[in-house]
Amino acid sequence: MRVTDAAFNNTLINQLNGLTSQQYNLQNQVTTGMRIQSASDDPAAMEDTLNDQANVAAQTQFSSNITTLQDRAGSIYNVLESLQSVTSQAGEITTSAGSGTQTTADLQTSASQVNSLLNQVVSLANTKDPTTGQYLFGGTASGQAPYTVTKDASGDITGVTYQGNSSVNQTEISAGVNVTVDIPGSNTSGTGVRGLFTDSQSGADLMNHLIALRNDLSSGNTATVTSTDSNNIQDDENNVTYQVANNGVVQTHLDTAATLASNNSTSLNTMISNSSSANMVQTMVQLTSAQNAYQAALESGVKVMQLSILNYIS
Amino acid sequence: MIGLFGTLNLAASALQAQMTGVEVSGQNLANVNTTGYSRQSVNITTSSDIDTADGQEGTGVQATIQQAVSSLLNSQIQNQNSVSGYWAGQQSALQGAQDGLNEYLNSSSSSSSSSSSGTSENSTGLATQLSGLFDAFQGVATSPTSTSARQTLVSQGQSLATMFNQVSAQLSSLNTSLNTTVSQGVTSANQLLTNIAGLNKQISTAQFSGGSTDDLNDEREQDLENLGTLANFTTSTDANGSVNVSIGGQSLITGDQVDDTLQSYSGTNGNQYVETVTGGVPLTLTGGSIQGTIDARDGTLATLQSGMDNLAGTLISQVNSIYSSGYSTTGSTGANFFNGTTAGSISVNSALTNNPSLVQASGSATASGDNSVALQLANLASTNETALGGQTFTASYTQTVGAMGDDLQTANNQVTSQASVSQMLATQRSSVSGVSVDEEMTNLMSFQKAYEASSELVQTVEAMMETTIQMKTG
Repeated sequence: MRVTDAAFNNTLINQLNGLTSQQYNLQNQVTTGMRIQSASDDPAAMEDTLNDQANVAAQTQFSSNITTLQDRAGSIYNVLESLQSVTSQAGEITTSAGSGTQTTADLQTSASQVNSLLNQVVSLANTKDPTTGQYLFGGTASGQAPYTVTKDASGDITGVTYQGNSSVNQTEISAGVNVTVDIPGSNTSGTGVRGLFTDSQSGADLMNHLIALRNDLSSGNTATVTSTDSNNIQDDENNVTYQVANNGVVQTHLDTAATLASNNSTSLNTMISNSSSANMVQTMVQLTSAQNAYQAALESGVKVMQLSILNYIS
Repeated sequence: MIGLFGTLNLAASALQAQMTGVEVSGQNLANVNTTGYSRQSVNITTSSDIDTADGQEGTGVQATIQQAVSSLLNSQIQNQNSVSGYWAGQQSALQGAQDGLNEYLNSSSSSSSSSSSGTSENSTGLATQLSGLFDAFQGVATSPTSTSARQTLVSQGQSLATMFNQVSAQLSSLNTSLNTTVSQGVTSANQLLTNIAGLNKQISTAQFSGGSTDDLNDEREQDLENLGTLANFTTSTDANGSVNVSIGGQSLITGDQVDDTLQSYSGTNGNQYVETVTGGVPLTLTGGSIQGTIDARDGTLATLQSGMDNLAGTLISQVNSIYSSGYSTTGSTGANFFNGTTAGSISVNSALTNNPSLVQASGSATASGDNSVALQLANLASTNETALGGQTFTASYTQTVGAMGDDLQTANNQVTSQASVSQMLATQRSSVSGVSVDEEMTNLMSFQKAYEASSELVQTVEAMMETTIQMKTG
């Protein structure tokens, strides 16, 4: 074929443009570490990457949810521990009082011990979540103190009123999996999450049982302590034990979910990386070969262009 | 025998012919870099012989100039230009759409070697904002009474709404500029049609008077090729050298007459289309950048715009229908989270901006710590929406992005492969019509040598004439 100067020049220019654009793309991939940056680079990979990124964001949110819940479950556990100690002390008092060996003065001392335990329980019942400042045991009506008390002239608690509700929040900790860490102070409905202090399923009613026990002790009514109060306190203790076990289960669940979220994030990031990141070795090799081709095109092109018949006409 | 004077005439014709050769080489060399120039060549033939007593004798040489043109390649290039133009129009429009969508992957971490851990890529567009909204609902569901979680939700909602507004504004501004591109394309096409008709006239006049039409032909060919880039057309050539042009079956040029011109008109959807002025016939073209622009605008861009509006509209209605049933920490209810109906009009209820406690996250008027509404809203992230073809919000959006990317990738690939075809045709044409410096220099030397030789002949004849004259006087 007859090749003219203009055809040669145009072809060379097109070749150089092509190689320059190839180098530009490869260099860009090397610098950013990314094989694709826009949808047109690889539409399917872009679609996957965006979906995976949304999924990573969701996993990150799950992790953050889990951290918040772990903090709250920890706060609740601290209260449960104290309550275990209270119920066990109250149980010991009922046992001692029922032994028939205690004097009236001993019983009075026990009554005042129970009174102090009662105050402690009311104070525990109105514990706030240290991070959010919300009351822990008011159910979902957590904006106000769950328990108010009525006192007699001498300042002793004669009754408690629960101002919260028996509802608890569900929180999503992994796709479609909800957990509840909260415990309502009172649940007399017979269904749902058991109440911590008052619960119709377990027969627990800690504050009122302590009030009755105190009153029976101070009036020297040891028969009732043995026949009724002892069993009641046992119910309360069992309920607290149940709640401790439950809290442990939830915390384990949260730990597992945290690991899952972190693993999911890692594998999703690997998938994102696979579909959108540049293979460095391959890209560098491609870049080098594009550079070589560019250099060769320049050198050969210039050599050919420099020569013509004019060089040999004197 | 033609005698001394006959020989002198013969030498003169040779000098003239070789001079023409030098002139043509000069013209070719002068236009070695002229776009669209077709090489000329000299056809040198012997002049007709005459009968003499000694037999047939030559009377010298005559030169005619020819243009090296392949009309087949020319028409292939015209057609190829409309294919290239079509995809270039698409490419430019779709690139605009991709820019308008602003969905790019950024690498936020400098460690490019780590491939398995740590987030290394972020996207810049709606995808991040969309998942951010659902995550912010999750945040409120986890800490329903937390002011900071509520603030995050409100500001995330605003970022998402702003991003929707921006994308919508970008896409509609792109639509406007594509309409301008169509109108400008039509104006350019009309200008070229007028030029072609004018050149037809000059060519037929020159041909009638026996003049050279080579350069006019080149100029008209350039105009036809430029017209091909804008719109595909068909041609027929008259005996007088005129080229008749029809676009979309409508005759626009007959000889030196412009039968009809093009104009853009506003369709029922407010977009610009092409029709003939006098005939008023709407044209549906199959090639050229004007049609490429129209197809990208009415296809991918329109789908993208309606997709964004549908996404925003569905998000607004789904979020609001759940949200409005909720209660704020102050016990208020019934308000909407989002206002507006489309991607262009979506905004966050302005009351929330000043007072995040008004976010209606609770399912009960009396339980401010309830999260059931926030949880339902967060679950929208994984809900398959009928209005979105049974897909989640994110999946529907990423599919829209992917579809746009597919179209742009196709256009990019087409532009690249059509460029190769154009390059191949250009090289082929150049092989026929292009100027080679080596060739012209060689011709130049051979014409020069022949000229020198013929001038020697003149001198020889002159000397012989001198001798003849001196024979008598001497």
